[in-house]
Amino acid sequence: MKTPNIDKFLPLTETTSYILLSLIEPLHGYALMQQVEEISDGLITIGPGTLYTAFSTLEKAGLITKVGEDNRRKIYQITDKGLLVIKEHLRRTEILVNFGHKKLQNF
Amino acid sequence: MTQTITKYKWFWAWNDDKEEAWLEEMASQGFHLISANFIANYTFEVGEPKKMVYRLDFYFDDRKKYQEYIQLFADAGWELVSEFGGWQYFRTEQVGSTIPEIYTDKDSKLVKYQRLMLYLTIFLPIFFMMLNINSPFTGPFGWLYNGVRIFMGLFFFVYAYAMVKLLQRINTLKKGNSQTKKH
Repeated sequence: MKTPNIDKFLPLTETTSYILLSLIEPLHGYALMQQVEEISDGLITIGPGTLYTAFSTLEKAGLITKVGEDNRRKIYQITDKGLLVIKEHLRRTEILVNFGHKKLQNF
Repeated sequence: MTQTITKYKWFWAWNDDKEEAWLEEMASQGFHLISANFIANYTFEVGEPKKMVYRLDFYFDDRKKYQEYIQLFADAGWELVSEFGGWQYFRTEQVGSTIPEIYTDKDSKLVKYQRLMLYLTIFLPIFFMMLNINSPFTGPFGWLYNGVRIFMGLFFFVYAYAMVKLLQRINTLKKGNSQTKKH
């Protein structure tokens, strides 16, 4: 199987990373906004304009897909391609974080 | 019966943040927006002064998508107050010190202005058609048609200026000097 080219999506922004990680399970927009605020300790707030835009962009890119609908609310979930992207992003970030800690240990 | 007042005020499309600030100022004096329209005519309901946050978005799509769009904003606590020609007027009450935003990152805010730009570009050919530069009109109503053409010509300059201004705004956003709100 040919692996899709995922480099063009990397690095992900903080907002996109949180969105993709939240969509490991199917969620609609409102639940997602609440969840992200909760898991990031209130550090990350996603406004509705930003989320709406992100949903369309990520859906077009094939990283998430619509899996249902609940009263005018679309329910999205991550795709296999989306999983590849977020995993690769975490792997690269981990390398950077480890390197950073090593470099900064005496500072 | 609710008391209303009407105001005329003109804002350029690239100055939507100034319009937001003005609407917030009005709300703090107890004037709450009911509707806004093409001819720069704003209707307010007179009530208690409130600390409101107004945000303008630019969006157009088919009915179903539009409903989903409104729903997402409503879920996040933003009330759609008025809508015209793609402009969406949202507001929410400000609780605490954090100012709520509909766009929380640079990339998506850029998309808003790019949508507006696309919209302006789509309508551009229509103006060219109406100008119809190559055929001077004669005949009984030629003067009328030429008058309209001069008016359209002037309008076209404003239009072109708007596009340049918007492009500048997009470029400023791209460079990351995202404008901070003046409050």
